[in-house]
Amino acid sequence: MAELDDIIHQPLRLKIMAALNALPAATGLEFSRLKKLTGATDGNLGAHIETLAKAGYVSVDKAFVGKKPQTTVTATATGRGAFARHVATLQEIIAGKQS
Amino acid sequence: MIDSKQASEALAEIDDIVQRVRQSQLYQLSSEASLWWGALVFAGNLVTWLWPIYAVYAWVAVDVLGVGGLVAISLFRPSRTHVRTSDIRILVTFLLFFAFGLFCTNILGHFGPRQLGAFWPIYFMLFYTMAGLWFGYVFFAIGLCITALTLIGYFCIGESFPLWMAFVNGGGLILGGLWMRRS
Repeated sequence: MAELDDIIHQPLRLKIMAALNALPAATGLEFSRLKKLTGATDGNLGAHIETLAKAGYVSVDKAFVGKKPQTTVTATATGRGAFARHVATLQEIIAGKQS
Repeated sequence: MIDSKQASEALAEIDDIVQRVRQSQLYQLSSEASLWWGALVFAGNLVTWLWPIYAVYAWVAVDVLGVGGLVAISLFRPSRTHVRTSDIRILVTFLLFFAFGLFCTNILGHFGPRQLGAFWPIYFMLFYTMAGLWFGYVFFAIGLCITALTLIGYFCIGESFPLWMAFVNGGGLILGGLWMRRS
């Protein structure tokens, strides 16, 4: 049986990866929208995005839209693969109970 | 390692967030359509109120520009959402919807300008209200509010009914679009 991914398994990081994975490849979510979707605080969300970025699971792009700074977070191919494996492992755990 | 109950909870959490992302994407797309139609409907009603003899031309222009705008929105943001906007079924649905409206207003009944001014917004908002039952409470709320205000205007407002509708229908769609953008 495959191992759960410790980086993704943390509840908020799981939500972040699930949200980003629901988008088409190379499409990101703005920080403010991600915050609203996950219900996290600025600091907490920022810290967990940094953890995911260090693992290579997400990329973070900072740009100015007009005079406002805008941070966009996008799942990388590595992150999408890790998330898919994590979900498969969760399904295996559930199936194991049923057999 | 976690047990199967915790694994089920994690998968449920994933499903929940995926649903929220899709609803958010749908709201983003719909907000653009609502803002576009809101501006056009506002202009159409204003022309109807100020220059009633040009109303027919104004509404033809509103419909053509409205549909053209929807096509442009579909074509220019295909990759930002999983919501399939270029599906031919959307166009066919819109055409059937529009054809039935024309059948009601011109063949089953011979509606005057005032009746037409009330029928089309209520008809379109019925679509919004029903869509809201599946896709999100914002559609439901917008549909219900505009329908109620249209009926109030129809029964209580006199010659200024087109002006009332410019703000109620056009303004309502614009406000609804902004609300969806923030949701």
